[in-house]
Amino acid sequence: MHEITDHPAFAFDRAEGGVEAYRHTANGLTVLLAPDPSGEAAPPVAAFQVTYRVGSRNEGAGLTGATHLLEHLMFKGTDRFNREKGTSVFQTLQSIGGSINATTWYDRTNYYAVLPEAYLPLAVEVEADRMRGARVSDEDLASERTVVLNELDRGENEAFRKLLHAVFASAFHAHPYGHPVIGWRSDVETVTASGLRHFYDTYYWPSRATASVAGRFDRRAVLDLLDEHFGAIPRGPETAPEAEPLADIVDSVTREPEQRGERRTSVRMAGELGSVLLGYKAPPGLSETSDALDVLVQVMTAGKSSRLFRRLTDRGLTTSAFAYYPRLRDPGLFLLYGNLAADVEHAEVEAELKAALAEIASGGITEAEMERARRQVIADEAYGRDGPHAIVAQLNEAIAVGDWTLFTRYRERIEAVRAEDVQAAAAAIASDDRLTVGHYLPDPS
Amino acid sequence: MSDLSIASRVAVQDAGAARVLALPTGIRDVVSFRGSFHTGPDLGANDDVVQDLVTDVLDKGTRHRDRFEIAEALEGRGARLSFYSDGLRAGFAGRCLRDDLDDVLALLAEQLREPAMDDDEIDKARRKTIASVRRATESTGAMASGAFSRRLYGPAHPNHVLSPEDEMATLEAITPEAVRRYHAEHFGSDDLLVSFVGDVDPEPLATRVREALGAWPAHGLTATFVPSALAPEAARETVPMTDKQNLDVRLGHALPITRADDAFLPLFAGVFALGGNFSGRLMQTVRDEQGLTYGVSSRMGGVAVEHDMDVRVAISLSQENLDRGIEATRAVVDEWASGGITEEELERTQATLIGQHAVALATTGGVAARLLVNAERGFDLSYLDRYVDRVGALTAPEVSAHIQRFVDPERFVQVVAGSVVR
Repeated sequence: MHEITDHPAFAFDRAEGGVEAYRHTANGLTVLLAPDPSGEAAPPVAAFQVTYRVGSRNEGAGLTGATHLLEHLMFKGTDRFNREKGTSVFQTLQSIGGSINATTWYDRTNYYAVLPEAYLPLAVEVEADRMRGARVSDEDLASERTVVLNELDRGENEAFRKLLHAVFASAFHAHPYGHPVIGWRSDVETVTASGLRHFYDTYYWPSRATASVAGRFDRRAVLDLLDEHFGAIPRGPETAPEAEPLADIVDSVTREPEQRGERRTSVRMAGELGSVLLGYKAPPGLSETSDALDVLVQVMTAGKSSRLFRRLTDRGLTTSAFAYYPRLRDPGLFLLYGNLAADVEHAEVEAELKAALAEIASGGITEAEMERARRQVIADEAYGRDGPHAIVAQLNEAIAVGDWTLFTRYRERIEAVRAEDVQAAAAAIASDDRLTVGHYLPDPS
Repeated sequence: MSDLSIASRVAVQDAGAARVLALPTGIRDVVSFRGSFHTGPDLGANDDVVQDLVTDVLDKGTRHRDRFEIAEALEGRGARLSFYSDGLRAGFAGRCLRDDLDDVLALLAEQLREPAMDDDEIDKARRKTIASVRRATESTGAMASGAFSRRLYGPAHPNHVLSPEDEMATLEAITPEAVRRYHAEHFGSDDLLVSFVGDVDPEPLATRVREALGAWPAHGLTATFVPSALAPEAARETVPMTDKQNLDVRLGHALPITRADDAFLPLFAGVFALGGNFSGRLMQTVRDEQGLTYGVSSRMGGVAVEHDMDVRVAISLSQENLDRGIEATRAVVDEWASGGITEEELERTQATLIGQHAVALATTGGVAARLLVNAERGFDLSYLDRYVDRVGALTAPEVSAHIQRFVDPERFVQVVAGSVVR
């Protein structure tokens, strides 16, 4: 089903799992094509996405939240597409029915549009134009800053969000994962346009970007389009010989010192029912144990067969409980969370969450659990290809971790995990010395 | 056949008591399905609260399997199946691999027709729902929307949302016996509709549905509810909440039309032009130009063919921008209501709605949901294709005339929820 398209501007890299990869020979732009295998029978819809390898991980003190604020300013316009002309990005792409947005995360920022296939050229043109043509002006920042502050306030309304921020801040003293992706409020209030432009001019270049296309489209036509609009953009500042070390500088971050002892934090705010969040230090998303940790999440969380449902929710201790392992580029956290039921103490839920993990670390999982987790992942893999947006969204996260083939090889990677690997992965993280405990303490007043 | 035409590709079949709509697509292995049926509730008696509990316990065991066996049967296959209650109807949604569909259908029928409904499970569901209601009181959005609905609709209207206090009191008073009785009397194959989209073969599929649900008896009940909104009355209400620096605001009033009225589409297009997406007047002005909010939108709320609906504007505002944000929003709405929309706005709205129609067809779940809702409304399949033409035929004067006829900002109810400082 793969086709290799000869194109003068692109070098074919490889094809696997329904994705064909190319690199622009002049500027290094990576291109991933995921054409709908049903060809002409596919719905006439395509998704176009540009992922930049920059996120809150790249922010230092005083500039927290800058990559997210920059993402907002990327919609404020270029000389070509702007609100004054009635051609802002939203006006241009939403007016043809596109579902468009952008998101910022720890390791990446992405811009995407899902739209009728006929308008794919417009989406490519818009993204190429703002890759280097964004205004990032003081005037635009002034109005957008209050928008982002309101977004921040919305998040701070939620006890869970506050608790998550508190646990990450306690778990990471040095590494930038310790600050929220949206940033600390005072930084959002004070960052300047030149501060944002630093991020723009450092990271928004073809050599740090991946363009992904999924759905129904003509391969050759899309490569032509990408070359036409992105081809003339220089690859990025690291191309200058004197700037050779820059690639290392822009990607370097402070390594988190080893945690040696349990940390505890709490959030008190008005509310009704409390919650408990445990964050265990966990390996980076491309480590050997990451796949086993994904299986561990399934075993602990997926459905009513899961360990956490049986141990907590079914017994009336929590109204919901889950495990979550965000695969990040650097070492991150393996999270366990429980929403307390009425009249249940935090200590009891904390003990049960810890025990659920310890039980697997010492006793392992059953073959039935292993097989169920495999089946769930296989089904999720098929569901994950349901529609072009689902495909580019998954590619986006794989790119962020550092390897897009994480998407295409995911099923085989999970199928290779054995029950003993899951036990070993649980044992490797289940140490109280590398744990941060967070309690949300609702204040009825 | 146009790329956007789906009516001609959908197979409609009667499978005993069920009507099956099946659309094969190019996706491999995956099947998404949606289904629903009339329950005939008495909304003035808070039947909808009992109905919620019934749907909550359908996956907690049947006469033949306990809750863990059900979970194993689904989760062991990576299949998803959930139940929901939606006022006048109850329904289900699922997704599975093609090879597992027969087993999933058999399980679906068992859960719908022979749930165990043990005292213990009903009580757990009840306590869990009470906890959810308590948690919802921490949400400015939920509190604002709830208060807004109570201003517009009386207790027996399908769009009425009970206050947290009333909902908890109702839940406390419900007995397991009442939940079992409601299931026995109100769950049946009345207007049972099921849509399947993806890797499906319509003929054998209809046979499977007939085997699973074709003989499910109907109860024959008619729903008891008030289809009209309360008499219009402008009002301002504040829902004070502690520790909520972001406030949620709702503005709007009821509309004396249903989804089946000719007035719906022009009004829908007009409200979309006001605040249907980022390109609408509200976001362009209050967010993009003035920077007062992260989100402001307008939409038609509580849309159905059986009863009244409303036009509502939702804004989120930080405390320091509360008054300015409301004022700016009202100014945009006032201008829109008195002056209508421009030709350019209509053209943009038409292109957007037609494009969205196409984009929504890109996932099996999206198409299955669209097929079901269309059938629930009693519209024939061709409406899904005609919709594009009807949107395309709207004119700016027609849309503006409908806005001016139906929307009066002077009559807007205004609700603010959060930490208000005066």
